[in-house]
Amino acid sequence: MATLSIRDVRKSYGSVQVLHGVDIELEDGGFLVLLGPSGCGKSTLLNIIAGLDDTSGGDILIGGRSVLDLAPKDRNIAMVFQSYALYPTMSVARNIGFGLEMRGVGADQRKRAVEDAARMLQISHLLDRRPANLSGGQRQRVAMGRAIVRDPELFLFDEPLSNLDAKLRVEMRTEIKRLHERLGTSIVYVTHDQIEAMTLGTKVAVMKGGYIQQLDDPRTIYERPANMFVASFIGSPAMNFLAGRLVPDSEGVQFQASGVSIVLPTRNRPVDSERPVVLGIRPEELRTVPRNRASIMGEIDVVEPTGPETMVTVQVGEHAIIARLPPRFAGRRKEPICLAVDPASVNLFDPDSGRRIDI
Amino acid sequence: MLSHRRFMTTASSRYLPLRALGELSETRYWMYLLLLPSLALILLVIAYPTLYGMAISFREMRLTRPGLDGWVGFKHYVAMWSDPVFWIALKNTVVWVAAAVALELSLGLLAATALNRDLPGTKIFAVLILLPYFLPNVVAGHMWALLLDPRLGVINDLLVRIGVLQSYKAWFADPNTALAATILVEAWHGFPFFALLLLAGLKGIPEDLYKAAAVDGAGLAAQLRLITLPMLKTVIAAAVILRVIGLVNSPDLLLILTGGGPGDATQVLSLYAFQTAYKEFNFGYASALSVVMFVTLMIFAAGYIRISRITKGQGDD
Amino acid sequence: MQLNKRQFLVGSAALAMAGHIGGARAASAISYWHHFTSQSEMASLLKIIELFQAANADVAVTQENIPNSEYMAKVSSAVLAGGRPDTAMVIAERFADLTAMEGLIDLTERVNGWAGKANFPDNRWTGLSSNGAIYAVPAFAFVDWMYYRADYFEEAGLAGPPRNFDEFLQASRKLTNPSKGRYAFGMRAGAGGFKYVIDVMEAFGSPIVKDGQPAIDRAAAIEAITFYSDLFLKEKVVPPSAPHDSYRQIMEAFRTGQTAMVWHHTGSLNEISSAMKQGEQFSTAPMPAGPKAHVARVAYAGNGVMKEDNIEAAWRWVSFWGQTDAALALLEGTGYFPASAAALQDQRITGNPIYSAATETLKFGRLPNNFVGAAGWSENVVNPAFQSVLTGQSTPEQAVDRMIQGLEAALR
Repeated sequence: MATLSIRDVRKSYGSVQVLHGVDIELEDGGFLVLLGPSGCGKSTLLNIIAGLDDTSGGDILIGGRSVLDLAPKDRNIAMVFQSYALYPTMSVARNIGFGLEMRGVGADQRKRAVEDAARMLQISHLLDRRPANLSGGQRQRVAMGRAIVRDPELFLFDEPLSNLDAKLRVEMRTEIKRLHERLGTSIVYVTHDQIEAMTLGTKVAVMKGGYIQQLDDPRTIYERPANMFVASFIGSPAMNFLAGRLVPDSEGVQFQASGVSIVLPTRNRPVDSERPVVLGIRPEELRTVPRNRASIMGEIDVVEPTGPETMVTVQVGEHAIIARLPPRFAGRRKEPICLAVDPASVNLFDPDSGRRIDI
Repeated sequence: MLSHRRFMTTASSRYLPLRALGELSETRYWMYLLLLPSLALILLVIAYPTLYGMAISFREMRLTRPGLDGWVGFKHYVAMWSDPVFWIALKNTVVWVAAAVALELSLGLLAATALNRDLPGTKIFAVLILLPYFLPNVVAGHMWALLLDPRLGVINDLLVRIGVLQSYKAWFADPNTALAATILVEAWHGFPFFALLLLAGLKGIPEDLYKAAAVDGAGLAAQLRLITLPMLKTVIAAAVILRVIGLVNSPDLLLILTGGGPGDATQVLSLYAFQTAYKEFNFGYASALSVVMFVTLMIFAAGYIRISRITKGQGDD
Repeated sequence: MQLNKRQFLVGSAALAMAGHIGGARAASAISYWHHFTSQSEMASLLKIIELFQAANADVAVTQENIPNSEYMAKVSSAVLAGGRPDTAMVIAERFADLTAMEGLIDLTERVNGWAGKANFPDNRWTGLSSNGAIYAVPAFAFVDWMYYRADYFEEAGLAGPPRNFDEFLQASRKLTNPSKGRYAFGMRAGAGGFKYVIDVMEAFGSPIVKDGQPAIDRAAAIEAITFYSDLFLKEKVVPPSAPHDSYRQIMEAFRTGQTAMVWHHTGSLNEISSAMKQGEQFSTAPMPAGPKAHVARVAYAGNGVMKEDNIEAAWRWVSFWGQTDAALALLEGTGYFPASAAALQDQRITGNPIYSAATETLKFGRLPNNFVGAAGWSENVVNPAFQSVLTGQSTPEQAVDRMIQGLEAALR
């Protein structure tokens, strides 16, 4: 049974529509990431699930029952906020137990629950402190403790890591993943960080302009993006786009652009006439080859060694593309470079609609 | 040191008169030299008048009796101890200021909370609600004197029409209502000050806190107690201190509405000092009254700041 | 203000030219502080300035209006901190304080050499003199009297205005009808009410100050305060708003028909005449006599010089107010009585029956109390003390004791 069903949810403020009929099903124990740039509607959707905002249409079911008429506190959810939202006047212990306190849970039981949660998050030594005296990471743990202690049907995370520094963010990300695996409670997680989406989600909904662009598991989203927006939003450095033409070929079909010529296997149907397309290549799919086996010819523009790999910006015709090459790459600026790509790993998009083309 | 010497020699070769200044500018005394003008200004504009005013309180200074001038030590303070009007005025000051500030704070919080919702039209209301504060005390005073007038007052008319009153009431003629009426007028006039500052404070409270409270199941009262008030504590402390100082020191509204009457029912220290100075021309005694106000305010402010710090400090060690 | 500025500019321009051409007389501009506020007062003042300018083209007068309640604060600040005007209006009640703070310049010699002096009987100078020296030139007089509703009196079957306090009380009882919202007497106990409290005390035989010493007769004063406060507390012939009623309120009450009698001076005649019909609806009478004395104030107001800089021009300006032309301009505009005996002979005064009560009052009326500290004591002690009797916060005995103590402190 699905923990959470979002059915044709719409939302508009006045004449501005921010959600256009969103449909999502989240299986029990699943981890749904709502991913997108700011203003895409992901936070609005989360607020609607929590009951902090109302819908203009559609339905939300949690555990199989519609919650639209329920107040946030009655939806059996717990939420973790970007700013942690700890009550400044209360001790850590009371902060964690506050949800239980409001629900009339007895002091003893509350104390046990708080201590358990604190132990799980390794913040037992902080219970008497006030939020003002905690570091960012500690506050984040307290905020999670507050959610855990309630043992809800659904956790909601609203960009929980974006106020942390880079190192702590990675640490807490792992922590959240561990927590999810340990508790098995379903989670809806809002972020604009594609790494978080990739590492945490069992299901990722990429959103833009109030529409779901793609709803899939992270692997599919990465490898077979539904459109150019998803393709460019996921992955760093971003996917390279080369505008060119598809030309029918004896072996199947050939992609041609200035300095580029790649033969692509066709799976479905043959391409019978020429058409313009955009070719998408992940930087890590490019490799250097001898001149005679090259499918892409260009000139080195910038070489950036990062240690484990070297990022090379290559000028190909009027396009600049990035190749992720081995660490000991020896090319220099202005030198010619010959690249090849595994035809099976490339993506094709329609230049007008941006949609993926499967051939 | 070396570079400093080198700078000196190159500079001195061309700008001899500036040499000393250039040298000074490299030392740490330069800082004090730069502070000097503003320090002098502060001494001149703030310290001198304050000390002079305090000095007068130890002198006999009655404009109408130039012959009596001279130092009298604590005479005025001793006289104050047995001056019944002083004690009434002190009590009224406390009541007036405390009640007015409490009312203004509550109204201000209410208004700020209402304005903090980003609803259409709140911008216009934000300006409208500030209007009373734009009115000078004198204008507000005369306006309310008319509104509350026992013969022409609109307020009386309204209250009689809705049946609260049997007949028109002379609010300022009855010692039981005079102080209350002036407090209400002051609250009307002063609450936008709080609304403005609290609104700025409210804007700084993360909305997440209220969302968290909603998810936790905390009601409006709990939200006010656990989130809004603690988060506004510094703003409230600052606003209250400023307002208390303002109210203790400004007699103008009472001067217009009641003149301290009937009897001494609305006599406050600032008005008493004003009347002593400008009706009796007894500047010595008026200064002594002002010094007492000054000291009381200092004690209040120090204590108040301390209290608000202590509660905050519990978490700040 | 605009008119005045223009006059100032025209005046200074003319004088500057005169200076260039002839160089005979120095041009001078003088300032004048006053507390005239109403439209009629301001119009009359501008008229007087115009008349003065016509005769003295080389002197430009800049008038500055200061609200009456702030007048002494402003003047004393100017004396204390500098910034005195050349000339200023001086009313009798404030004369003692002003001379005590050395705010006015001795004009005795100039007055003695002035042709106009003869127009003013001695009592005109008394209120503006201190230790035999004259500090201001009398200009106009406030003559206290009573306005009463002739129609209400007729309705109540009263033959005429009360002549003494007994008749006043009897009439008051008949004229009061709270169910109609009508009260006999518009008592002023708010700002400025001390004036009549002191009048009643003197009418019951208690002096205030004698030879510079406090002289309140405690028993007589208590009797007076009891009588006067009982009008409000026991007899209830006074509107309930009395403890806060000041000039505006008592006038409002009389004009709107809430009260049948009100004590004030000749200065408000214009205002009342514009609201109701002289002779038919209202009339004027001398103040009623008390058991021991018939008290009504005649307060001469004048103008003094506050600094020496332009004394010649300043003297011409303050003495101009004493001339009949100026006095009659003021009378026509405002109804303020002339101080000059010559002007009092004018047909416009002798021929108007409404003024006869004032003319009669001039025969027995007394000058306001004139001692240093009078204003402060009256406003800061007498007013709150009497109000607290009205509001039940103290007894007449306590109030009189407070007045005595306050007076001793003021004179010490």
